[in-house]
Amino acid sequence: MQKGLKILLLILFAAIMIFAASDLPFRGDPDNRMHAERSVNNTRVIGNYAIQNAYRDAHTPNIVTVILGDYRSVDTFGEQIVIYTAGLITLLVLRRTRRLGRSSAL
Amino acid sequence: MVDFITGHYAYWFTIILLCIGLYGILFKKNLVKKTLGLVIIQASVVLYFVAIASKWGATVTVIDDSIPVDQVAQYLNPLPHTLMLTAIVVGVATLGVAFTLLMAIYNRYGTLDEQELIEKIQ
Repeated sequence: MQKGLKILLLILFAAIMIFAASDLPFRGDPDNRMHAERSVNNTRVIGNYAIQNAYRDAHTPNIVTVILGDYRSVDTFGEQIVIYTAGLITLLVLRRTRRLGRSSAL
Repeated sequence: MVDFITGHYAYWFTIILLCIGLYGILFKKNLVKKTLGLVIIQASVVLYFVAIASKWGATVTVIDDSIPVDQVAQYLNPLPHTLMLTAIVVGVATLGVAFTLLMAIYNRYGTLDEQELIEKIQ
């Protein structure tokens, strides 16, 4: 009973999502709103700006590298802090459980 | 109709992948399998953003001398690719932490089954 309800909810969720996806713009359409010069709020969209000015700003042919390393470098720095913290937590938890496991085995 | 399907099948694929991940989280009892369901959901979100960044007939986001940069329709949208690069890296880091916690749980209680864990904790 519980399982049938869960499956029903899951199928309903998939149906609603697929119905909502029919309102999305076509994949790969160059006239898509997110590829346009200006957004719905009439603010500039970064995609076209990055393509046009990336080489002039950073002299790197790879646009993704320019955005990651130059335009959003502080964000990348925070990402590295996340990785460092994850490694540190992994080390600490593993050391703690190893110590606990040895003491409980004795 | 054919136009509609070719324009939307990528979204349907990511939605089905999302539901597979939700199935793993909701139905599987093993905590490792639940974590894998979470990873599948994350992969579906990443694929959705990469799918939405594409343009028909466009090349990769590396400046080519034969294609002037003024023709923005000739290059893919670089921003979703960048953000998904960040998301993938952070996702792998958090996945590592999750597996570490699962190892800690297994060392402490000797099981990864959800029901057995609830009984052992009480």
